[in-house]
Amino acid sequence: MKIARLIALSAVVTCLSFAAYAQGKPAPKDALLYFVWPQDGAVIKGGFWCRFGLRNMGVTHAGDHFQNSGHHHLLIDVNEPLDPNEPIPQDKSHLHYGAGQTEARIELPPGKHTLQLVLGDANHYPFNPPVVSNKITVTIK
Amino acid sequence: MAEIRDFKSGRNPVPPDGAMPRRLAAIVAGDISGYSRLMQLDEEGTHSRVKRIERDLIEPTITEHHGKLVKTTGDGFIAIFDSPVEAVRCSIVIQQNLVGRNASLPKHYWIEYRIGVNLGDVIIETDDVYGDGVNIASRLEGIADPGQVYISGGIYEQIKHKLVCGYESLGDRKVKNITDPVRVYRVLPDPAAFNRTRKRRESILLFLLSLALLIIAGGSLWYMLLQPHGEVGKQASAPVSPPAEMPSAPSLPAPAVRPATPQPAPATQQAARQPQPAPGATPAPSVASAVREPEMNTIRAGIFTMGSNDDVTEKPTHQVTIKPFAISKYPISVRDWNECAAAKACAFAATGKDDAPVTNVSWTDAKQFVAWLAGATRKAYRLPSEAEWEYAARGGTQTKYWWGDQFQSGMANCKNCNDIAVAEQPIKVGSFKPNPFGLYDMGGGVDQWVEDCWHKNYQGAPADGSAWVEPECASHVIRSGSWKNDARYARPSNRDSYDTNVRYPTHGFRVALSP
Repeated sequence: MKIARLIALSAVVTCLSFAAYAQGKPAPKDALLYFVWPQDGAVIKGGFWCRFGLRNMGVTHAGDHFQNSGHHHLLIDVNEPLDPNEPIPQDKSHLHYGAGQTEARIELPPGKHTLQLVLGDANHYPFNPPVVSNKITVTIK
Repeated sequence: MAEIRDFKSGRNPVPPDGAMPRRLAAIVAGDISGYSRLMQLDEEGTHSRVKRIERDLIEPTITEHHGKLVKTTGDGFIAIFDSPVEAVRCSIVIQQNLVGRNASLPKHYWIEYRIGVNLGDVIIETDDVYGDGVNIASRLEGIADPGQVYISGGIYEQIKHKLVCGYESLGDRKVKNITDPVRVYRVLPDPAAFNRTRKRRESILLFLLSLALLIIAGGSLWYMLLQPHGEVGKQASAPVSPPAEMPSAPSLPAPAVRPATPQPAPATQQAARQPQPAPGATPAPSVASAVREPEMNTIRAGIFTMGSNDDVTEKPTHQVTIKPFAISKYPISVRDWNECAAAKACAFAATGKDDAPVTNVSWTDAKQFVAWLAGATRKAYRLPSEAEWEYAARGGTQTKYWWGDQFQSGMANCKNCNDIAVAEQPIKVGSFKPNPFGLYDMGGGVDQWVEDCWHKNYQGAPADGSAWVEPECASHVIRSGSWKNDARYARPSNRDSYDTNVRYPTHGFRVALSP
């Protein structure tokens, strides 16, 4: 009887933890995502190395369910709000760095562009609350 | 490296009854990269500088962090700490101070330490420390780049929530003379603080390389061990090379006679499905017939203009010659995939409806599937090349979409292109019209991996329809766009890239077959 109850309990706990995987993994309150480079308002000639900074959390490979860790996504010229219940989209304006990269070579056409970082969990969902950087504007000459 | 030999010899003479003082400790091993080169450059100068660094920086920093300097060797040191956090903090302080000390010197005079930190149960003696844990710390230090701190998985688990810095997983590394692979992490102190240039990229490449090698090695080992008939496992590699006596060869001359319309499919499938005319005695034919093969359409040879002027990645447009091949009529379905999973040749069992396309597969996963399919059927199944994919998707047309230059709703499964409920996605394969080659879902539906490495445009692309590859590339090409992308992504010339070893919920693939 006791064993049966234990099994039932562990099953429930397993289900709960799977449900927790689905989306909205908790992030520490003091997590800080930011651009090491470029700075807001930078004027850049040609391609550049964009460097991602993260404090109080760790960077890991997509698919790894380590606590308090995720992988970077770079949003270029994205105006739609982030949907916390969907994986971060994957297209030409949502670039993924699921191998644990902390920098990337970016080439953009001349003109003004906005850049923003979003941290995604193992399944590419945003954290809860979302860990996002300030949206910065750069000008490509 | 001399000290490592010391530790190893230290393992052997353990007296069976001696009460060795054992304890758990965080071991920090550091050594100077290029010490012999520095000594050649300026023996006395280097020696006195190293001694000064040890006296002014290393010893006081270790004491400050409540550690104990066990010993120094000519070019390195070993220290033990009670606390993993203090051990890593101490290592970072040493590395950051050295950056400052080197800043005023020309590069070839730099004294740069490599540091490894490991948690282990060790034997402590007054002037030395022994055990596996020490060897692993030394090995970590050995693989670290100059100026870097590498830590083991054990240390990482202890400090990840306590120490404010980034950690980059470098995966499981096999280190010399240690049986089990060691999980390695690179410590990223404040990313702004340290000086990284090419080393950073090199380490990513190295990481991906080792990861890919590990996966390939693991996959092939798995395949060989778990394949029910060992003989098949051994022969698995044979069909991949251009086949001499391929059973599907008779189906090849046929398409040349037939028009390239949807109709050829059934006939070729029958040809392809015929049991092999091999001698019936071996167990192989029974294995081959047990596997349900995807429906394949034969594509005739041809020349087409690849690329477009709609996007920088699709330029320059160029002529490509395609040899005859076959490509699956639909993206690989959950049902197809789960046969591979059941054979333990694919990494996971897919969920979802049987006739939905399989999703959340990485390029490496897709390669595992085709390797299994090729082995089990003894046919040259593979991923299509990017050129083959576009040729097949165009279906003999040169327009923006295969049906013309204007988008028409209801032709492809893309975002805002139809009224399918989000909850039903991805809907079953083959729900939309086939293109002139009789292929379904070539544009929209699921993104599809191809064999090619990612290149940002077609500058230097091959013109013979082959896959454009380099060994161990970090990202590969995806084609087709998915139900989550808008109509622009459903164009046959659209191309995008994604990390080779990363899974994403809209990524699937289809297979090709060489004649």
